[in-house]
Amino acid sequence: MKNEFYKKLIDMYAGDELSSELKDELETAALSDSELSHEMFSLKTTVEALRSSPEPEFTDDTFQRILMRMYRQGVDVKTHMPESPHMQLRLPLTG
Amino acid sequence: MSGDQTQDSLAEKRWLVALAKGDPAALGAIYEMYGERIFRYAYRMLGNRSDAEDATAETFLRVLKRANELRADGAFRTWIFRITRNLCIDKMRQHKLLELPADAQYSCGEDKTALRITVQQALKDLPTEYREPLILCDLEDVSAKEAAEVLKISVPALKSRLYRGRRALRDKLGGTLEKLK
Repeated sequence: MKNEFYKKLIDMYAGDELSSELKDELETAALSDSELSHEMFSLKTTVEALRSSPEPEFTDDTFQRILMRMYRQGVDVKTHMPESPHMQLRLPLTG
Repeated sequence: MSGDQTQDSLAEKRWLVALAKGDPAALGAIYEMYGERIFRYAYRMLGNRSDAEDATAETFLRVLKRANELRADGAFRTWIFRITRNLCIDKMRQHKLLELPADAQYSCGEDKTALRITVQQALKDLPTEYREPLILCDLEDVSAKEAAEVLKISVPALKSRLYRGRRALRDKLGGTLEKLK
């Protein structure tokens, strides 16, 4: 890469942090610079692949299991979500 | 800020004030607002559903314990992420959970599944100092300023780690990205 300035521009380009004018300028420069073009493409593709990664599933069961963990620590958290059957079987905390 | 975001923000403030005053319903409301995000963050840090559920529950218990420190000034999100982060780091130290275990399954379609697994694997293999900014900024959509506050570093330091992390991830993915061309 030509210098640190270009490197920083590419980092910002990959993260969609550049203004449209700078983005256009960089893309134009890349047309005649294969090394720059490769850097821009590979880094942007990496960020896009990362950002499009699927999210860990947060199901109703997950929601309830976390509530149950809090309950076991002595905190009965009330929410608007309907309780699952196994949550309805819990015993009183005291007495 | 959109209308929905403004309403969410107002609701959050109202519940935080209620929690600080000892309203027992407030923790449930805050859990409904933040539970999923905190769980996702913990899962991405730990890569293990059971540990992520523990860390999420412990996060909200700590919120309750420290309710008197709460300020409804917009800093809550940063504060709660920081609590989760500290809990995750403790767990990683305690159990030496420095790798995503095999149960790190994510909801995904059939296409590009292999690439997604590869991205998760490559992310897992990054040093924590690179992985954390990528999880916060690129996966959890936290701003650079907020991420820097969560990690207790400056914004330039955060950006430096973020940029280096992306390059390190690209290098780990190597030929996989070529297939996307």
